[in-house]
Amino acid sequence: MIRRAVIALTCVLGLSAQAFAQTSDDFFNPEVLQRVELWMHSADWEKLKATFQENTYYPADLVWNGQTIPNVGIRSRGLGSRRGTKPGLRVDIDRYADGQHFLGLKSFVLDNLSQDPSGIRESVSMRFYTRLGIPAPRETFARLYVNGNYAGLYGLVESVDKTMMGRVFGSIGDDVQNDGYLFEYNYVLGSPWRFTYEGSALAPYKLRFDIKTNESHGDVKIWGPIEEMVRLVNETDSARFDEVVGARIDLPEFVRYIAIQSFLAQNDGFNGYDGMNNFFFYRLEDSTKHVFIPWDEDVGFLQPDFGITTRLEDNVLTRKTLALSSYASSYFSTLLEVSDSASAWLQQEMQRQFDMINDAMVADPVKLYSVDEYQAAKSFLLAFPDARITYVRCEVAKSTGSTRPAGCQ
Amino acid sequence: MKRALLLTLLLAMIAVPAAAQGKKKDRRGFVWDDRPTFVFGKNINLEIKGRTLTEWRWFDPGIKEDLFHLRTARVGLKGKLTKHFDWEIEREIHEAGDTKKVEFGSWKDVNIVWNTYDAVKIRGGRFKMPFGLEQTTGISDLDFAYRALGSTQIAPGRDRGVMASGEVRRINYEVGIFDDDGDNAESNEPQFVAEGQDLNSVGPSIAVRVIGDALRVLPVRKLRSANIGFAYTNSDVPEGLNSLRGESVWGKHFFERVYVKGRRQRFGTQFEWTPGPASVKAEWMQSREQRLQQSNRDQDLSDFIAEAWYVAGTWFITGEKKNNNVKVKSPLLHGGPGAIELAARIEKLGFRSASTTGLAFTNPRNDNQIPNSDTVFTVGANWTTSKWTRVIVDAIHENFEHQFRTPKPGITSFWSGLVRLNIVF
Repeated sequence: MIRRAVIALTCVLGLSAQAFAQTSDDFFNPEVLQRVELWMHSADWEKLKATFQENTYYPADLVWNGQTIPNVGIRSRGLGSRRGTKPGLRVDIDRYADGQHFLGLKSFVLDNLSQDPSGIRESVSMRFYTRLGIPAPRETFARLYVNGNYAGLYGLVESVDKTMMGRVFGSIGDDVQNDGYLFEYNYVLGSPWRFTYEGSALAPYKLRFDIKTNESHGDVKIWGPIEEMVRLVNETDSARFDEVVGARIDLPEFVRYIAIQSFLAQNDGFNGYDGMNNFFFYRLEDSTKHVFIPWDEDVGFLQPDFGITTRLEDNVLTRKTLALSSYASSYFSTLLEVSDSASAWLQQEMQRQFDMINDAMVADPVKLYSVDEYQAAKSFLLAFPDARITYVRCEVAKSTGSTRPAGCQ
Repeated sequence: MKRALLLTLLLAMIAVPAAAQGKKKDRRGFVWDDRPTFVFGKNINLEIKGRTLTEWRWFDPGIKEDLFHLRTARVGLKGKLTKHFDWEIEREIHEAGDTKKVEFGSWKDVNIVWNTYDAVKIRGGRFKMPFGLEQTTGISDLDFAYRALGSTQIAPGRDRGVMASGEVRRINYEVGIFDDDGDNAESNEPQFVAEGQDLNSVGPSIAVRVIGDALRVLPVRKLRSANIGFAYTNSDVPEGLNSLRGESVWGKHFFERVYVKGRRQRFGTQFEWTPGPASVKAEWMQSREQRLQQSNRDQDLSDFIAEAWYVAGTWFITGEKKNNNVKVKSPLLHGGPGAIELAARIEKLGFRSASTTGLAFTNPRNDNQIPNSDTVFTVGANWTTSKWTRVIVDAIHENFEHQFRTPKPGITSFWSGLVRLNIVF
């Protein structure tokens, strides 16, 4: 019975996918403002909004571009971004049917844009990371309709999950490289952490690193390498740091990640104001090495003169990595590379995204900021790239002792 | 809780000599036949009753259950008020979760019966709704440590209400009206009430049962002790995640509640036959719950169905007759073996939707539900050592239909076992 249902489901979804020849790239196409429909019981939508602090799932039918995916599960999501008037949503495609996929996706996120009056900070940031070679979720925007009514403008965000790991890390032969251990960093309120060693017990690391794949494996297998890595980061002297820690963390990727994040003036990221925050961490398949994946960058672009060395000394991993001259040099050269890349792209991309979402944002019946606040944020962001590029280039010159470019104060 | 257990054991030990003294000609004052009783006059008395059911258990594979378990401890009073009225009250005792302090738990039976006439008796208060042979059998009188799954999950159990019962032309009838729909079917979801709407609750419900010795017409003398019964309940269930739910023998969920709204009906049949030292019992029961306007798009869904059956057999190898008051031929304390009974039961509890068309999902708002069921085989032995004490040994095998909706997803077959000590007076 179940087998027949699954086969039938697979056939239906397979045929419909073929008929439309659509892929997840189409769904997250950054050039397109999507229309996503959710059909759910009228009482459930009211309940979800009334109990937005809970993670209760509700069933819904998802409609996109002529395709209907029946019986997906949706729930309220977010940490500080949860709102009852405009809930952020996680959409689980296979919540009620093992093996149900949508364009190869098992889930995605509808971001309620609650912490960014401009709406575009995160999507611009993620495109920028991707452009510069850091694995990041695909994003665009969607007009969300619930039971036929416009429910607001949402960010359409790819879930950082096993499917995304397969997309990012590809295959070796037929072996998709998505069987590694994926963690979401868990910001613990009132307990900022900056990569200090917390002892040999696994509990503190379990608390901070939520496992997202291979959950059934034993604690030692999942978090043992995390504890070992943190210990080695703290204990290893500079002479052996690259060899020992470099075997466990992709240090060149790490330096590139924090340099881009610094350029983006992200105050709540890896070297955040209250300790580390907003990233995923992936232990590559059959490897001891971990890479960083940015997440939730909706408070970036803080100010054009955000210091390029802000809090670099606070975090143990950052401090000890950048204490090595090769990585310090790489950090500053990456900032210059990022500035060059931004100068040709960032302002135009912001303008393009504003043009795409403007009408939907203004018409959003439950937007969390006024039109005036949106317009002010828009003006601020559009002026940001030029000022930031100049500032970063000048500060890099100051830090490295090289010739200062024109326009520096 | 240990203190309650020790107290019960002490009472049980006292009970033995007290019982020996209990056969008094003058029935006034304090007497102790089956239980401590104060007799105030003809047809006026007060009995003190209590019970503890204690288990030692094992599981393969493990399902995170304690190996020692106090199944229940209860104390109560019952008595007669003239020849016209019987009454009883009973309450559970349990350990508070945090403090481990022993305290009173939920009320069980609290009712009074007007029983002047055999043809019409009226019971009012809190008691078991007339549905299910096993469910309406006392927990310490069961042939197995645990009731069949249908008896605890489809049958409604106790509720507040009024019921008429009696015997007319060899047919026993029970018909009652109840406040809700039984403890076993309590609403799960705190009802979400939008502004301006009323908060609905389950019920009221009606329940009817008739039992008769219909096989008496057959020319087989041995079948005269056989009874056949039919039962029906009907109630309204408010909108919400309020359907019946599938739980394994050990309370693990294998079918979560679905959204329902409308009428809940139960249909049941029962068969009981006690030829001498043996017994055969069987039941079939089904519930059907309406799901009006419960789809993702507020449309009607097909009925949600729970269905269960069991067939059970027992045999006293020591020769005692199987009836409601088993008299041990050779009690253990008199040098005998006690009464030893072998028992076996096969049963199944399953959940599904009436519709099987369209794609099947576990979504609680989908028309076609992916079905799941638990098939259970129990084999055991009951050793009644005295009128107050019984040891039950059961081995239980459960097999689930759905691979992932089991106590351990991915595993469908489970063994468990227990040794239960019943002390009842």
